[in-house]
Amino acid sequence: MLRIAAGRAAARSSSRPIVNGRTIPGVCSSCSANRSARRNFSSSSSRQADITLTVDGKEVTVPQGTALIQACEAAGATIPRFCYHDRLAIAGNCRMCLVEVERSPKPVASCAMPAMPGSKVFTNTPLVHEAREGVMEFLLANHPLDCPICDQGGECDLQDQSMRYGSDRTRFHEITGKRAVENKDLGPLVKTVMTRCIQCTRCIRFANEVAGVEELGSTGRGNDLQIGMYVEKTMDSELSGNVVDLCPVGALTSKPYAFHARPWELKNTESVDVLDAVGSNIRVDSRGLQVMRIQPRVNDDVNEEWISDKTRYAHDGLRFQRLTTPLIREGDRFVPANWEEALTAIADGLKASGAQDNEIQAVAGHLADTESLVALKDLVNRLGSDNLILDQQLGDKAPVNGIDIRSNYLFNSTIPGVEHADVILLVGTNPRHEAAVMNSRIRKSWMHTPLEVGLIGEQVDTAYGYSYLGPDARALADVVAGKGDFGAKFKAAKKPLVIVGSAVTEHADGAGVLKAVAKLVQGHKAMLTPEWNGFSVLQRVASRPAAYDIGWTPSKAASQTTPKFIYLLNADEVDPKSIPQNAFVVYQGHHGDVGAQLADVCLPGAAYTEKSTTWINTEGRSQLGRTAVPPPGASREDWKIIRALSEVVGQPLPYDEVLALRDRMWEISPSLVRYDVTEPVTSDIALAGLKTLSSRTAGVAISGAPLKKPISNFYMTDPISRASVTMAQCTRAFVKGENYGFSEEEKTGQASYA
Amino acid sequence: MMLASTSRIACPRHGLLIARSLHSSTSVLNTNISKGTSSATEPPATEAKSTVPSEILPPHPIIPADQISGAPVELRHRVVRIFQPAQNTMQSGPAKGSRWRIDWDVLQGAGRWENPLMGWASSGDYMQGTRIGFRSKEDAIHFAEKQGIFLVISGWDYYVQQEPVKRIPPKNYAENYVYKPNKLRIARTK
Repeated sequence: MLRIAAGRAAARSSSRPIVNGRTIPGVCSSCSANRSARRNFSSSSSRQADITLTVDGKEVTVPQGTALIQACEAAGATIPRFCYHDRLAIAGNCRMCLVEVERSPKPVASCAMPAMPGSKVFTNTPLVHEAREGVMEFLLANHPLDCPICDQGGECDLQDQSMRYGSDRTRFHEITGKRAVENKDLGPLVKTVMTRCIQCTRCIRFANEVAGVEELGSTGRGNDLQIGMYVEKTMDSELSGNVVDLCPVGALTSKPYAFHARPWELKNTESVDVLDAVGSNIRVDSRGLQVMRIQPRVNDDVNEEWISDKTRYAHDGLRFQRLTTPLIREGDRFVPANWEEALTAIADGLKASGAQDNEIQAVAGHLADTESLVALKDLVNRLGSDNLILDQQLGDKAPVNGIDIRSNYLFNSTIPGVEHADVILLVGTNPRHEAAVMNSRIRKSWMHTPLEVGLIGEQVDTAYGYSYLGPDARALADVVAGKGDFGAKFKAAKKPLVIVGSAVTEHADGAGVLKAVAKLVQGHKAMLTPEWNGFSVLQRVASRPAAYDIGWTPSKAASQTTPKFIYLLNADEVDPKSIPQNAFVVYQGHHGDVGAQLADVCLPGAAYTEKSTTWINTEGRSQLGRTAVPPPGASREDWKIIRALSEVVGQPLPYDEVLALRDRMWEISPSLVRYDVTEPVTSDIALAGLKTLSSRTAGVAISGAPLKKPISNFYMTDPISRASVTMAQCTRAFVKGENYGFSEEEKTGQASYA
Repeated sequence: MMLASTSRIACPRHGLLIARSLHSSTSVLNTNISKGTSSATEPPATEAKSTVPSEILPPHPIIPADQISGAPVELRHRVVRIFQPAQNTMQSGPAKGSRWRIDWDVLQGAGRWENPLMGWASSGDYMQGTRIGFRSKEDAIHFAEKQGIFLVISGWDYYVQQEPVKRIPPKNYAENYVYKPNKLRIARTK
């Protein structure tokens, strides 16, 4: 973090708990803030002395080794830039950030120049103005004048900066015209108009450093420099959409969004992503009733500035296959009904099924929000049942890790904490697909530090190198014993981190694996210290941490009961065979997917962009989403449906408004409504959790079945992404490897998009 | 669904989620001090500084704007969000980055619907297009708090969203050329 003389107090206070008005008690946020503010890997070269320099007559103090552009920013001077980006390596090739430094004969590129003590910098002199204007003129010499048909229009850095710093007239009178560059095909997500490229190389640096796509690069020199994949190849990365954001001009734009909207037409709603358990901060841009696009929001505690392609592009699935009206099954077809009929039909079905106590079962699906989970649990409990199961394999039994202590199922090291680990052991997980944005942090750390990664489970391409230790629980035993090269490194690690995939609890050997992990953690001194908790479970489903937090688990008696009445809350991964023939099934959700097909009554709920609800991410960070667009048709917010149903079945729930419901959540666990912070579990309690884990799994034998990755197709993991056309195209291009796109689409004129 | 603000005041724990300035004191003051005396001592001005004797007022002096603002009553029952709009990741300019904003949560049902005639979005919510900008968070909170009836209703319910967490380490061009002792882990193709 930059610290400046004037702003030093501010910088220091920013590491204190951020107490939002009086809404969030600061008690626990202080611990999390301390944890997250510990150290960034890039500053890992030990903190050097601060230096003081003068920018535009203003003294500013920055740490030694800071780029001049950062020092200027810290002094409040805006420096135009194209190639410099806060989260990428410095390239220094656009020259837009030229500033004047005293006693320097020429203007200096402030991004590539370290700030020097005592130097006097000027950012607003005739020399600087002239330099910027000159750079702008060169950039525009080869830039097409197609702003009216360019998708970047309205949020284009080149447009903005040419207005602000450029010349008001052209001296370009070349008879040969401008340079033209052939478009590249980067797949179904990124549209290229390479003639517009100003060769800032941000996309290359992003691909190299963050995404791990080392094929995207430049060829040629000077006027002939081109960006591309060298050979005809798509950009196969789950983070590729971010290059659209990074591109300061319209060379890389979003293909699904091409010619759909202009930025000034859009309403921005700041919300939270739910398509994985990272809880990426997003901005939902909507026009009228439709979500037009999804953009990342900067949050260095969660997703930095990146979001995965599924997060960014799956939103078109919100338009298709929606349940818009309650449906009642009659024979082999669904008949639309109104809410009263549907709720009555459920009450009748409940009565007719004769379900008593634990025969009433509720299944929590992947996209269920915390409010509706709490409401449904309360309702089912009031009906006398404890049969609350999860929509996953072995979900009908209490999870082996136990949910009494939070650290047994959460990502305890926190997502920024991943960067501090010096040895990471991945067990039964592919973070690249289960938490794509978090995976980029591992890659970042792997590149800049001597981080060692080991993997147990299915071999996958993680975007960083790892030592493969074996496919099953036996390989873990070797690490516990400290055998092998990696075992020795792990033993010697100062901040070891074990990331256990959520699929482990769904695996037959899950108990054995967790037993070994518990042994590993307890046997390592550096694993659990007051500052560091190296035992992390990576959840992959947005609703899961919340479900565990509220105690959504079947009792022993309940998990042996055959249900007669099943309530599927957003449950679309259910195995149809697991549902008894004569059971009455209710599906509540927003898409007509697997769950709806099994149902006797379908209740249309709202998708994540259509309700303001709480989501708990894999770290246990509670975040509040926000309504961007209204739910379609007769669909309603999910917790309200459950509240209404509770009235009809004669067990009315005691909350009529969402705030009362959140009070109930507070009663269950205060952390559910302490938004935007993580509440770390102390090392003592975490240790107690591990002890219970050990005792639960004491006599477990290991079958040696290999651990499987849970996600085979990153682009289709939930009803929204399965309904999405863009995600289907991605599946074709990246998963099936079909030669997508060198295609008819490119042959037709651009007007055909419009 | 309309939110009944009275029940929210009664419940002591709402402070976790929705802050109210007169939270604990409201009900007490409500019974002890009649509205007439309070409005008599209260100048109907909108300045930030108050001249009301301090023993009646909570520590943070708030002048209720509701009495003269003419805002519809329903507005008091809605939650507003106070937040610093995120910078667009498509652009590098920092303009307007420090502003704070108040806007209203979308009303379920009345939010927007497709107009059957033209297919445009219609709305029954008169606040859906409104947003208010502020220079600081405190300004925004103060504005929300003063939208009440003096000592009766203590302003709008608001939720303050955390400001963006941004940590940029010092960056250095020389890092591109730093010697790495072991196997290189990145092939730069720039």
